[in-house]
Amino acid sequence: MEAISHAGIVIGVLSKDGVVLAAEKKVTGKLLDMSGATGGSYGGSGEKIFLLNSNVISGVAGITADANSLVNYARQAAQRHLFSYNEDIPVELLAQRLCDLKQGYTQYGGLRPFGVSLLYAGYDPHYQFQLYHSDPSGNYSGWKATCIGANNGTATSLLKQDYKEDISVEDAIELVLKVMSKTMDSTTLGSEKLEFATLTLDASKQPKAKIYNPAEIDALLQKHGLGKKEEGDAAAPAPGDLTL
Amino acid sequence: MSDRIYLGLPGLATDVTTLKEVFRYRVNMYTIKEEREIEPETFAHLVSSTLYEKRFGPYFIEPVMAGLEKTPSGAYKPFIAATDLIGCLNFAKDFVVAGTASTKLYGVAEGLWEPDLEPEDLFETCAQTLLNAVDRDAYSGWGAEVHLITKDKVIKRTLKGRMD
Repeated sequence: MEAISHAGIVIGVLSKDGVVLAAEKKVTGKLLDMSGATGGSYGGSGEKIFLLNSNVISGVAGITADANSLVNYARQAAQRHLFSYNEDIPVELLAQRLCDLKQGYTQYGGLRPFGVSLLYAGYDPHYQFQLYHSDPSGNYSGWKATCIGANNGTATSLLKQDYKEDISVEDAIELVLKVMSKTMDSTTLGSEKLEFATLTLDASKQPKAKIYNPAEIDALLQKHGLGKKEEGDAAAPAPGDLTL
Repeated sequence: MSDRIYLGLPGLATDVTTLKEVFRYRVNMYTIKEEREIEPETFAHLVSSTLYEKRFGPYFIEPVMAGLEKTPSGAYKPFIAATDLIGCLNFAKDFVVAGTASTKLYGVAEGLWEPDLEPEDLFETCAQTLLNAVDRDAYSGWGAEVHLITKDKVIKRTLKGRMD
């Protein structure tokens, strides 16, 4: 639990036509080799946002080693479901599978629990877009907008203020970026500190996960007036935008 | 299996369905972990090891695979392979065959195939081989399906055969 409250923040916002996830990277530096981080639609080799299945992406906060193990477990669980039922796993069921595992580690002696909180952003035909949160004890719950990691109290109250019931993905993206820029320690937002992903539907109504690569993140930040250009006053509102 | 890997599974129908699902599982896991599409040769080894896992109670299947592999220079190179029911790999340079008509297919393919065929000539060779071999086989027939895999598109053609 302690590790999670120090971890980089992860924010998720649900909308009618998509889900948005953003995460703050803590391990940075110019010597860190990021050439492996391709982004795109395969797996997401970032530090904090992963593709679990074609219909679910997740953001993690806590002990990275534990998180990697859980991500692997989730991917296996999703493929097992696809194998058995020839259907993509429903989002809540995937969250449940992981929580069953997490809960097990709180009950049996000798082992420590997974020090990881996760956000699951997914789509299934029964309940459309969904956003879930799970903690190390194995509790999980569904949210319209939530966050995990350091400063999650501040971010939650910002989300509470600005979340609207019928928000669109575009507005959700803007909301997430704004909250991110207000809660992160650093003064400027940039791809080296930020991970970003969306889950929407494509033309054939199939879920489409997009994990942004560094160049796309910088372009997105630029578009919302939060990019590096405004060095020093990144937190200032973009022209025409109201203050949070 | 992917945009540029095709797999044929002649054999017991239940095993065809099961193996199709097993390979989907394994290819999906490969793609998500490696963050790239699987190469045909890697896939061939995956098929082989999956079948050998059931060495003493095998799936009744003799897979044939065809695809385009990426060369280091970024170009695409054709690839074919086949295995027996316990996964013994055969990377042939010319042709691979399997199924009830395999003995006849070997004969016709041996006669018709020649090196460096252009896509449309390759299609004709393949189609003629199939139709003629199948006519000599009592267990198979009623038409054929040919997928012509090129680097920018895959053409699927359904052929009419003898219906007796």
